[in-house]
Parts: sequence; C-alpha cells; structure tokens
Amino acid sequence: MRRTLDWIFRLATALCALIACGVLVLIVAAILFRGLPSVSWQFLTEQIRLVGADGGIFHNVVGTLILITTALIVSAPVAVGIALVHGVYIRHEAWRRRLLLLLYLLNGVPSLLFGLFGFIVFVKFLGWGKSWLAGGILLGLMILPTVTVALIECISSLPRRYLEAAAGLGLSTPQIIWSVILPQSLGGLVTGSLIGLARAAGETAPIMFTATIFAGATFPTGIKESPVLSLPYHIFILAQDSFDPAAGARVWGTAVVLLAIVGLLSLVALPLRLRIHEEAHHG
Amino acid sequence: MSWGFALFAALFLVSLVGVFVWQSLPIWKEAGTGYVSGKQWFYRQHLFGALPMIYGTVAVSVVALVLSVPIGVGAAICTAEMLPPKLRLAVKIFVELLAGIPSVVYGLLGILFLRNWVYQLLTPFDPLSGDTLLTAGLLVAVMILPTVMTLSDDALRGVPALQRQAARGLGLNRSEAVWSVVLPQAAPGIFAAVLLALGRSLGEMIAVFLVVGRQDNQWPENLLSLRPLIESGQTLASKLGGSETNIAYGDPLHWAAVISLGLLLLLMVGFVTAMAFRFLQKARHA
Repeated sequence: MRRTLDWIFRLATALCALIACGVLVLIVAAILFRGLPSVSWQFLTEQIRLVGADGGIFHNVVGTLILITTALIVSAPVAVGIALVHGVYIRHEAWRRRLLLLLYLLNGVPSLLFGLFGFIVFVKFLGWGKSWLAGGILLGLMILPTVTVALIECISSLPRRYLEAAAGLGLSTPQIIWSVILPQSLGGLVTGSLIGLARAAGETAPIMFTATIFAGATFPTGIKESPVLSLPYHIFILAQDSFDPAAGARVWGTAVVLLAIVGLLSLVALPLRLRIHEEAHHG
Repeated sequence: MSWGFALFAALFLVSLVGVFVWQSLPIWKEAGTGYVSGKQWFYRQHLFGALPMIYGTVAVSVVALVLSVPIGVGAAICTAEMLPPKLRLAVKIFVELLAGIPSVVYGLLGILFLRNWVYQLLTPFDPLSGDTLLTAGLLVAVMILPTVMTLSDDALRGVPALQRQAARGLGLNRSEAVWSVVLPQAAPGIFAAVLLALGRSLGEMIAVFLVVGRQDNQWPENLLSLRPLIESGQTLASKLGGSETNIAYGDPLHWAAVISLGLLLLLMVGFVTAMAFRFLQKARHA
C-alpha cells in the first residue's frame, strides 16, 4: 500500500513536470515553426511597408535596442548605489529588510502602471510627447529591482575575509568599495543587467503610451516628440488588427526576432548566473 | 551618494503612488465608495463603477492560479525531490529561460490559437466567441507557470538535506518524507511563490487584453456561477490598456476614473507583494 502510494505520487509529480515542460516546448516550437520562414536578411534590414504586410522590421529592431540601452544606462548606476547601501552602509538588519521590501514592492508594480505614470509625468507634465528617452527611463526603473537584487546577492556572497583583509590594510570604506567590492561583484551587475534587459526588450505596456509608435519613425534626433518603433508594439498592433496573411507571416517573424534577442540576453547571462547560484549554495 | 540612490528608489515609489492618488482625487470626491461598488461604467453619462472590472481581474487570476499552482508545485516537487541534481538544474534553466518569453508573444499565441481552441471546446455551451475570461485565465496560467515552478523549487531546496535524511532514516519513503517533512517546512516559501505569481497575473495587461474580449459592465448575478467565465469580460489592466485611456485625458472626471483603476490595481498588487515578502522572510528565518 505504502509503496503503491509512493509510486502514484512520484508519477503524479513527474506528470506535472512533463506537462509544464511540454507546454513550454510546444509554445517555442509553434513560434519557430510559424516564424522562421519569414525571417531573412532582407526582413531585418528593410523598413516597414504597407502597414506591416510588406518590407521588414529594421527600425523596430533599432528602436528596441535604443530603448534597452537607455534602460541599462539608467538602471546600472542606481542599482550599484542601492546595492552598496544595502551591503555596506546599512548597519541594522531591520533597515536592510525595509530596503529589500521596497525593492520587492517596486518589482511587483505592474509594467502597465509604469506606462501610465510615464504618460502623466513625461508625456503630459514635461510635455515630451512620445519620446524614446521616456521609454528608456521607465524600462530602466522597471528593471531596477532585478538588477539590484542580483547585485545584492553577489555582494553578500563575497567572502568576509576579503573585506577584513582590506580593512586590515587600513583602507577606508570608499577605497574598499572601489578596490574590492565593485571589481569582485561586477559579474552580479552584468548578470542582473542582462536578465533585466531581456525583460525590458519584450515589454509593451510601459512604452505603448510613452515611447513607441507603429510606423513612421526612424532614428530619433531629439527628446521631445521623438518616438521610436519597437518590436513588441509591432506585434501587439498587428496581432489585433491584421487579418492579411502576408502581415500574419511577418508578425510571427517579428516574434522570432524578439525571442532571439530576449533569448540571447538570457543565454549570455546564464554561465555567470549558474556560477553565482552554485557559490551561493555550496560556498 | 549611494544613500541618494536608495532614497531615489523610495521617492520614486512614493511619487508613483502619489501621482496615482492625486490624479484620481476628483472621482473619489464625486463618487466616493460608489466608485468601487458601482456596477456600471458609461463614461458619456459620467457613470463610473469599477466593480465588474475588479471581478474580471479576480476571475482571471483565480482561473490562472487554480490551473498553474497544482501543476507548478507538482513539477517543482519532481525537480527538487525526485530528479538527480544535474537533470534538475537542466530543467530549472530551461524553465527560467522560458519565463522570459515576452507577454506580447503569449498574447499572439492566444489570439491565433488559444481562443479558437476555447471556442471549439465550449461549443456545447454556446459561447458568443472565444474571447472569454476563461481564455485569458488559461493564457495567464501558462505565463505564471515558470514563476510558480522555479520559486517553489527554490523553497523546497531551502529545506536542509539533513531533515530529509532523518525522515528517510525513520523509515519514511520518498513521498512520505515530502508530505510530512519537506512540504510543511517549505510551505511559507511556496505561499510566497504563489502570491508573487498572483501579483503578476493581477497586473498582466498585454496578453489578457488580446483575448479577454474587453466587454464592459459584465457583472454576474451569481458570483459563484461558472457561466460568466465563458463570456467576454474586462479586467482593470485591460481597461487601462485600451483606447479609452487616450480619450479620457481631456475630461478631468473621466481621467480620474480611469487612473483610479490603476490605483486600485496598484493597491491590490502592493498588498499581495507585501504578503509574499512576509512569507519569504518567514521562510528564510525558519
């Protein structure tokens, strides 16, 4: 009886794992199967034509890259600052916990609300209209918790003896930060940023009111009224409006390109992430 | 300098909430609590009731959780307790990579496959279309599955190996050890995983927007009936993502009513996230 129950339970959990992985495999397979045929060099280097039914997605790729680069520039320094406050300057556990709660709350804010906040502040109050900079700043704020928490984990897994040795040499706190903590935790910053950027690249909600339009934008030349095209918004609009088969094939192609960008960023982050993971659990 | 950045993060969160509160003040002055309990939303008549959208949001999230929590936690038990370490890591990496699929891609799959399947499946019940609360719930369930799975796996791995060995030494088999030793200790962490996934599903806009039908004023007569689930509906997020947000800006009261939907969403998600954080702290100090 006990053995039967054991087997039933094991089978049930294995079945759950199979279902979970199976669904996810099917999803990726479906996108690749539908989208790969329409991805070509031409598709990547041409401009959008005929409301997405012809031409390519060159400026959409460029726009998405502009947005995530801005997000990186916004989030990295702030993340370093917050992680240092958490790891070095705060002396009380209670305050450390409060800072972490703040990051969790920020991480929980739905991306849509970042978009509305940006719409009120950047588009209306500052009068920027739709601007790549607003989108980049919002995406940067959105991924801030991801980057910061990765960095915090990295800093707190630094061996104590490094810090003690540095302090023993008579280094001041800023000197310890510059010569020990930052170089040693660079991996955490890179990993966290890559994971964050992978998320930022695929987000539609924060940029749809603030930074991106469907057609008619090229390289931005200023800040005010200078929107960019982007991959996720392209998919979002075509998914709703288009029943044209030519546009249908291209929307799947766009999804493949977006997945490739997201996947590439996550894959590059993977080795470092595994190393940090292993150190955290076995170090 | 560093303190400045930490302060900046705090200030940003405060100003985010502040802007939403401030911009939505007119509707609270005008309608008061009637805004939350009102069942009708006709902006031309200046009737603003958020209740059907709160119902839609909760319904979609409940469907998503009911489907993804058993499968996600079951799968996590499989990876954390049953599989050899190498295979476990492989599955975990795979799932975490897939957690990064953008929601708009899920939306695309939903609009081109899922809603047709749901429509065919529901034909005996005579639905109006495949755009239903159920469709949205199914889609969100798949989206939050990796989150539930990988965070539950972390929670289960957080239980010391010594505890398992002791349980096995007492003669319990693997499943019994999981049920009576590992799960009770991992429970706070698993609750946290579920709550974080709930937070994500409450606020999910893009994917839900594409398949939920966006039908206003769908307040069910019987709250426990399943029938409304196979009809179109509206969630707080899908309403906010729609074109009404652009129209509303010219009219202060209408705009306040729209932004209040965001405020309600912010409060719901904030509460759920804070609860999740408490459970996480509990898990860490256990």
